[in-house]
Amino acid sequence: MKHGSVHYLSIALFIGSVALLTSGGYIHIKAQLAQWLIASAWTQAIDNNEQAKPWPWADTWPVARLEVAKYKIDQYVLAGSTGESLAFGPGYVLASAAPTEQGNTIIAAHRDTHFEFLQDVQQGDVITVHNAMGLRRDYIVQDMTVVDKQDVTWLDNDAYSHQLTLVTCYPFNAIQVGGRLRYVVRAVSMEEISA
Amino acid sequence: MKTTQDLGSHLLLSLMSCVLLSWGVGFTLSLVLMSLVFMPANAHAEINDEVDLEHVTSLSDLQSGQLAFRTEQGHYILSPKLNTEVDIEVSGLLARVMVSQTFTNPSSQWQEGIYVFPLPETAAVDHLRMKIGDRLIEGDIKPKKQAKKIYQQAKSEGKQASLVEQQRPNMFTTSVANIAPNDSITVVIEYQQMVSQQANKFSLRFPMAMTPRYIPGVPIANTEEIRHFSGEGWAVNTDQVPDASHITPPVLLATSESTNRANLSILLAAGFALGQVNSSYHQIEEVIVNDNTRKIRLIDDVPANRDFELVWQASNQQAPQAALFKQHKNGEDYALLMLTPPNKMNIASISRELIFIVDTSGSMDGTSMKQAKTALQYGLSQLRPQDSFNIIRFSDDLDSLFRQAKVANQINLDTAHDYVNWLRADGGTEMAPALEMALQAKQVTEGLRQVVFLTDGSVGNEDELFSIIEQDLGNSRLFTVGIGSAPNSHFMQRAAYFGRGSHSYIGSEDEVRQKMQTLFNKLSHPVLTDIKLDLAADSTIEMWPKVIPDLYLGEPLLLTLKAATLPDDIVINGVYGNQPWQKKVILQGGGNSESVSVLWARRKISGLMDEYRRTDNEDIKAKSVDVALAHHLVSKFTSLVAVDKTPIRPLSEKLNSQSIAVNPPAGSVMSQLPQTATPAALQLLLGFILLLASLFSQWRRV
Repeated sequence: MKHGSVHYLSIALFIGSVALLTSGGYIHIKAQLAQWLIASAWTQAIDNNEQAKPWPWADTWPVARLEVAKYKIDQYVLAGSTGESLAFGPGYVLASAAPTEQGNTIIAAHRDTHFEFLQDVQQGDVITVHNAMGLRRDYIVQDMTVVDKQDVTWLDNDAYSHQLTLVTCYPFNAIQVGGRLRYVVRAVSMEEISA
Repeated sequence: MKTTQDLGSHLLLSLMSCVLLSWGVGFTLSLVLMSLVFMPANAHAEINDEVDLEHVTSLSDLQSGQLAFRTEQGHYILSPKLNTEVDIEVSGLLARVMVSQTFTNPSSQWQEGIYVFPLPETAAVDHLRMKIGDRLIEGDIKPKKQAKKIYQQAKSEGKQASLVEQQRPNMFTTSVANIAPNDSITVVIEYQQMVSQQANKFSLRFPMAMTPRYIPGVPIANTEEIRHFSGEGWAVNTDQVPDASHITPPVLLATSESTNRANLSILLAAGFALGQVNSSYHQIEEVIVNDNTRKIRLIDDVPANRDFELVWQASNQQAPQAALFKQHKNGEDYALLMLTPPNKMNIASISRELIFIVDTSGSMDGTSMKQAKTALQYGLSQLRPQDSFNIIRFSDDLDSLFRQAKVANQINLDTAHDYVNWLRADGGTEMAPALEMALQAKQVTEGLRQVVFLTDGSVGNEDELFSIIEQDLGNSRLFTVGIGSAPNSHFMQRAAYFGRGSHSYIGSEDEVRQKMQTLFNKLSHPVLTDIKLDLAADSTIEMWPKVIPDLYLGEPLLLTLKAATLPDDIVINGVYGNQPWQKKVILQGGGNSESVSVLWARRKISGLMDEYRRTDNEDIKAKSVDVALAHHLVSKFTSLVAVDKTPIRPLSEKLNSQSIAVNPPAGSVMSQLPQTATPAALQLLLGFILLLASLFSQWRRV
């Protein structure tokens, strides 16, 4: 009798563990797999010069390609920074300046998937952004800061230069979700620095 | 023997676990592609506000428009003092405001100070003076880039310089270079604005606070500019009830020693016998000069963390019904005309048709959907029995509550509440069919049709949507409500512009009620629509804004005109309730004012900026620069810069240039940064713990 209940308990625990592992793994696998699907949508967008959704029912579409050669990063950036699009790739904050264009372009991604590399980024690193028209701009990392998520003043600190801001959650290795802090990497277009 | 058997069965079970686990992983993999289809991401976790900030590096600890210097170590030191002196002269409809900001450098190094501060959305900043000792250096208006260059150069040459730039129409920055150690520099900015009028109350607001959560209602762009008032003229009694949407007092923040302080004095010359004069949030001292004029000042210096608002009324409750101000400048006539709309009809009895469109696409999942539902439920509760309504929801498909709008009786409302409760966020965003459905549907009632559109605005085919709105608008007005942490405000503002409505933004769940209240108060009191000025007779008149927005309860009609010679009269047409309305105004007499041209130019610039945002046409940008330079105005593309000729900082000494001013402005495009962590690590960890526990209990069983 006692053995029986322990047996059921262990089965229940096992089922629970499989469910959690599946769900947790799903997040990581989805993050990787989606980028492949997006890659083909991106090629289509470049070739036909139109917006292409990575899968027909998607709520987002690729708007830029983000490259950081030093960390072997090559990712497709999706429109919007909601939970939905961030699951698949870094999200371009729609309210910010268009990728490669004048103003501050803001891209956000999860600290444990696509933007895990941000913890290694150093001042002076080069980040390359390609937009859907095939234009490319190189940005140089200026500084890295930790800010509160409510603190958004610095976002349009200088709306008249070409800026790139990458945002992810902080601290990087926290287990708990939903902290207040964000890690912010700011970069300025290379042209403007040399000019 | 028995143990071996038990061990065997245990091993068998472990083997089965392994098989099951690998099956689980395989199943997961196959699920992945499928679930891209079926499962919405759950990564958007609830936002937790409980965590305390312990980092000194955070700017969010600061309150109001504080000045901070950033140190090389990456944390901030506060400039303990940025004192602000405000002098306001009100003359009838117009107000001239002088703001003196004294930057103090408490450190032992040369510093550059940058201060971000709010000004009223309609402020026309036309003067900058820098005070060094007894000397005053007058600022010049220059195209933005050129001004910045001049400033940068002066900065690197060790000269004292200041620069005033517009970041947003309601947010400016002052930069001051080369403040000597333990010294200070005073910068004086002057701007022109109009007094606001709501029913028979006149008010003037000086913004001091910039903390996002406490700033009362973001100004609704399209109507903001009409809310102003009158001075003298054709006075007629008005018995309108003050609008309840009047901005609610901001929540008081804890004050600390480090907050900036402000002092403020006002010379109020109303142009009519003054009745009550009140300060909404501060203690004031009044001196009566004569019937029409008072001197007002704050009793003490106050911490600059609450907006100052002064409200006044005419002594006999008879606010003037219209006013006219004129100016002749460089061979041209400028005029500013204020009119109170008619007040004969009981507006509350006019029935309306309200169509709600709600975005239920996947991107709305989580808090956004919750906010949208609360907003919808509030909207439904505001319907009156004579109104009719419908709800349309869309993602990649769409459906509606009723086939066509139905009367707001109890049965229909109950059905609607159930419908809203059952809404779920999933799928893509196909906005066009929903907009078409809302705008093209046959109107059930006569009169105004208001479409309230709740969305986070993540769309790509903006231009297509704009042309749908423009083509199908007809009798309808489109009000967009932005939801979520970073909605596409740009899209929604423009959509509201084409829809001749307004845009509001809900940043968090506790804002839903207040924002929706403001919107619905407005929606339920439309007064005058389709307002047009008969300009055919005189084509030399240049009026801004070109399209006159609808008027809601308590808002006066405000026109700014420029002409080679003003005509003797103008005719204004509109729709009042369901009936045509016309008014002829004789443009004779009126007061003279030197600021009419500045106000006209400010409105022309904001009109051009709207056009520029829509078209990205460089000619329009050039036009706006011309107007700004001609009228000495700070704008998006022009800045005021003042440079002292004599270098003061020895070039051998370093200037700590990076300084940052803080606090999010009202109407910031983002209220907060997105959520950027997934529960994956947590789930994996728990998963392993459970797996171990399950194996452990198996082992115990053995």
